[in-house]
Amino acid sequence: MGDTRAIDAERLTKRYGEVVAVDELSFTVAPGEIYALLGLNGAGKTTTIRMLLGMVRPTCGRVSLLGTRIRPRVRAVWSRVGYLVETPAAYPDLTVAENLAVAARLRGLTGDGPIADVIARLGLEPYAHRRARTLSLGNAQRLGLAKALIHRPELLVLDEPANGLDPAGVAEIRALLGELAHDGVAVLLSSHILTEVARLATRIGVLDRGRLVWTGATTDLVAQARPRLNVVVSDRTAAVAALRTAGHTAERDGDGLLLDSEHAVRHPDEIATLLVAAGCPPTRLAVEQDDLETCFLRLVGQR
Amino acid sequence: MPWVTFGAFTLVGAFGGLIMFILQDLNRARSLGLLGTKAALTAGTADWSAYFALLSQIVAVGGAVLFGLIVVWLFGREFSQDTAKDLLALPTARTTIVGAKFAVAAAWSLLLGGYLFLLGLLIGAVIGLPGWSTATALSGLTKLLVTAVLTVLVVTPFALAASAGRGYLAGIAVMIAAVFLAQVVALLGYGRYFPWSVPALYTDIAGPDRDPPGPLGFTLVVLIGVAGIAATVAWWRHADHDR
Repeated sequence: MGDTRAIDAERLTKRYGEVVAVDELSFTVAPGEIYALLGLNGAGKTTTIRMLLGMVRPTCGRVSLLGTRIRPRVRAVWSRVGYLVETPAAYPDLTVAENLAVAARLRGLTGDGPIADVIARLGLEPYAHRRARTLSLGNAQRLGLAKALIHRPELLVLDEPANGLDPAGVAEIRALLGELAHDGVAVLLSSHILTEVARLATRIGVLDRGRLVWTGATTDLVAQARPRLNVVVSDRTAAVAALRTAGHTAERDGDGLLLDSEHAVRHPDEIATLLVAAGCPPTRLAVEQDDLETCFLRLVGQR
Repeated sequence: MPWVTFGAFTLVGAFGGLIMFILQDLNRARSLGLLGTKAALTAGTADWSAYFALLSQIVAVGGAVLFGLIVVWLFGREFSQDTAKDLLALPTARTTIVGAKFAVAAAWSLLLGGYLFLLGLLIGAVIGLPGWSTATALSGLTKLLVTAVLTVLVVTPFALAASAGRGYLAGIAVMIAAVFLAQVVALLGYGRYFPWSVPALYTDIAGPDRDPPGPLGFTLVVLIGVAGIAATVAWWRHADHDR
């Protein structure tokens, strides 16, 4: 029976001298899944993507794409993989159609059909005969995506696919990727736009300093969000002292205080009574849920 | 770039024709002063044989720069324009892509050499150079094409420099260094053994007193050509493309 995983990365590691860019990274992506790699700048997302695509040789570990172990001599699998790494690039003096013709030729495609199809799919008709250097950032991004999709790949690896796109463009890409996933295409993308990832990805991997610190369904990441009690008082110093005396820990957050113990969240009335008795009546008291950004920043140690 | 290289070879070809034109009439050469004196020193006589020799020297010296620029541009542009990453994970092998670039560079350079020869025929006919014979023309063409092939071989390492340096600058720097060293080494009398000096020495540019390159010199040129291609292919296949 064949391997059904589109991506199978096992203990991928990349060291540059003393610097560990990626550290024992293991994850899988199944066909029809949209897997998002999240991480701060320098977390190792692009290095990981380059190792998956055979552009960078792992220090150790291995990766298989669509059942094929990635090695220097491997070629056939690339006809089933499309990719866009970092900023999109094109030959500036060639038109959009000519750049796509080069991409088609390098992928062994013949005829004008694939070029016309992908131009239509990415909304590039008005720009087909414009030189690539005249394109806006958003349309250059579309051209990069077109090059990645021209051969109808089974696996798509995208580095920041929504970069430079206006909201309408982001919505189009979201719809396109959703459509592809529905058709069984596996998608691996990296992104900083957490709201888009939350709406688009089925699974998320969070990278921090080269290590995968969390992986799971997007819904599970959101479910990680801890409820906390947000209290606004006029005298925070006195309130913190009163809470500490009663055995509660509060951290300052903006104008208020946050208490994340289960008791405080379940019994906000007790906290309110305690503060009134201490002469620090709360002006606002609310149980709040973390958003995705807060969850993410907590996972990467930024909060 | 194509038009730049054709334009450059048109200019140098025309300049060579101008020198022949001046040498045809020595009185006019003297009346032109320094230019006339220098022209007499570089070319000697104004006939078809001397003109073909001059064209070969143009290919050797000018070609080292222009053919070098072609190779640096073909490889360096992929990094300057950030398009190299789109060539790394394809069903078309990296070896094929690199080989295709070298093939285009060689064909383009040899085409320039052939163009220079045809231009020379036209200019020589217009100014009425004496000493024409089919044998002289064939000998001149052969020498020019061999010079072009030798020059194409010695510029292949510039592709590695442009690739590993990830842009035009490193390739151009190595090219300038090679051209400079070729002059210095030839001046010191060891040019027969220095691959980048061999094409120019083959054209007798240093005069009849200098020994032409021997089998060792030509072998080194071929070895440098093969090594330049092999090293460039190896770099594209095995280096970490992390930028």
